[in-house]
Amino acid sequence: MADELGDLTDAAQQPPEPPPGELSVSQLEALLFVAERPLARREIATLAGIERDQVDALLGDLEVVLRERGLRLLSAGEHVQLVTSPEAGRLIARYVGADGGRLSPAALETLAIVAYRQPVTRAVIERIRGVDSDYVLRSLMHRRLVVEQGRADSVGRPFLYGTGFDFLERFGLTSLDELPLLEPEAALRLDE
Amino acid sequence: MATAGAPTTAGVPVTSDVTPVEFSFGAGHRPEDSTHVRTDVFDGPLALLLALIEQRQLDVLTVKLGDLAGAYLDALARIEHGRLGLLSSFVSVCAQLILIKTRALLPRAPQPVAATETEADPEEELRRRLIEYRMFRDAGRSLADRRALGAWLYHREAAAALAAGRSGARPDPGPALDPQTLADALLASVRLVPPLPSPPEVLARTITLEERAAVIRAALRRAPVFVLQELLRDVTDRVVVAVTFLALLELAKGREVALAQAEPWGPITVTQLPPVPAQDADG
Repeated sequence: MADELGDLTDAAQQPPEPPPGELSVSQLEALLFVAERPLARREIATLAGIERDQVDALLGDLEVVLRERGLRLLSAGEHVQLVTSPEAGRLIARYVGADGGRLSPAALETLAIVAYRQPVTRAVIERIRGVDSDYVLRSLMHRRLVVEQGRADSVGRPFLYGTGFDFLERFGLTSLDELPLLEPEAALRLDE
Repeated sequence: MATAGAPTTAGVPVTSDVTPVEFSFGAGHRPEDSTHVRTDVFDGPLALLLALIEQRQLDVLTVKLGDLAGAYLDALARIEHGRLGLLSSFVSVCAQLILIKTRALLPRAPQPVAATETEADPEEELRRRLIEYRMFRDAGRSLADRRALGAWLYHREAAAALAAGRSGARPDPGPALDPQTLADALLASVRLVPPLPSPPEVLARTITLEERAAVIRAALRRAPVFVLQELLRDVTDRVVVAVTFLALLELAKGREVALAQAEPWGPITVTQLPPVPAQDADG
C-alpha cells in the first residue's frame, strides 16, 4: 500500500512523458476548456512543447473557429481564457444570478482613465480628474474591475493600475483592442 | 462639430446608466434637493466647470473660461460643509479661473510672455485639462452603455456556478400560482381518467337453493326429524328464510324429506325419507 502511494506521488510530480511537441486547435480548445483560470501563453507552449509564436498562431485560429460558437477567446496580455459569448450574457446571468450593481459617474470616468491609459498611477488619474481618487479606485479594485499591475519605476515606486479579466467580461470585450476609440485622443496627442 | 447636439461615441448615445447632469443654481434652489445631485455633479472641480459650460451650451474649445469664474464661485459657495475634504481641489480650479479672468481684464505687455516662456497660458492649460477630462467622462458613459447591454462574458467557474445554484440565485419563478389552479387540474385529471368502480357498500349476497339444501341435509344428519322454525330461529334475513323454504320444497319434491304441518302458521316438521334411488333400483 505504501509503495503504491509512493508511486502515485512520483507519477503526479513528474510528467509521465515528454511534451508531444505538437498542438492542434481542438486540443488547445480542450485545454482551455478544462482550465478554470486564465492560462499564460507561455504555459501552453511549455505544456505542448511548442514555440510561443506557434501558440499565438493557434490562438488566432481558435478565435476564428469560435466565432460560430457560444464561446469566445478572452485575451488579456499574456493570458487567455475561454468565456461565453456576448449573446449568451443575459442567459448566463440568469443562471449564476449575477448582478453587477450600478457604477457611479465617478467610478465610470475613473475606470475609463484606467482602461485607456493603463498601466497608470493614481497620480495620473487624479491629475486628469482633478480630485482625490483613492476611494473610487479602491472601490473599483474591490469589484475586481481594476487590478494592480506592479509598480512604476518613478520616485516612490507608485502602484500601477490596469483593468483585469473581470473588466473585459463585464463590458463584453474579448480584448482591450475592442475598446471604443477615443476620438479626441488623437487630436490631443497631436497637440502635445 | 456638425452635430452640436448629444455627444456620441461610435454612434452610441452616451446617456443611459449615467445620471444626467441636472442641477439648478436659480432662485428655486433648494439645498435639501440638491444634496444628492451634488454628489454626482460636484464629484470633481473639472466636472463642475464642465457642467457649467454645458449648461450654458458653450463650446469648451472656445469659451472664455474667465467668464465662468463668477458662476463657479457661486456654485462653490453652495457646497455643504460636509464636503470640505474635497473643497481644496475646487478652490484650486477656482483660483485658476480668477487668475484667468484677472489676466483677461488687465492689459498685458507683450514682453513678459517671452520672459516666462516656460509658463503655459493658464487658460489654455485649464482648457486642455477640461477637454481631456471630458474625453474620459464621455468614455466612461460609453462604457456604461456597453455594460448595460448585458452582453457580459462568463468564464467557466464551476464552484461559483454551484454556489449560485445552492444559494438559490435562480431565475425568478414568476408570480405565485393560484391554489384554484391545483383544484382545476385535479378536476381535469378526474375527467380524463374514468373513475374506478367504487367497492359496493352492501355485498350482494347470493343465496342459492343448493346452499340452503345443504343446510337442511346437515340438520337431517344431526337429527332425522326437525322443526323448520327451530332451524331458522336465529335467521333474521327473510330472503334466507324464503330460500330455505324453497329448498325444503325442492327436497320434498325430490322425496328426500316429508313435510308436515298440523295447522296454518304451525311448526313445520321435516322428516328424512329413505333414499328414493335405492328403492327405484330395487323396484
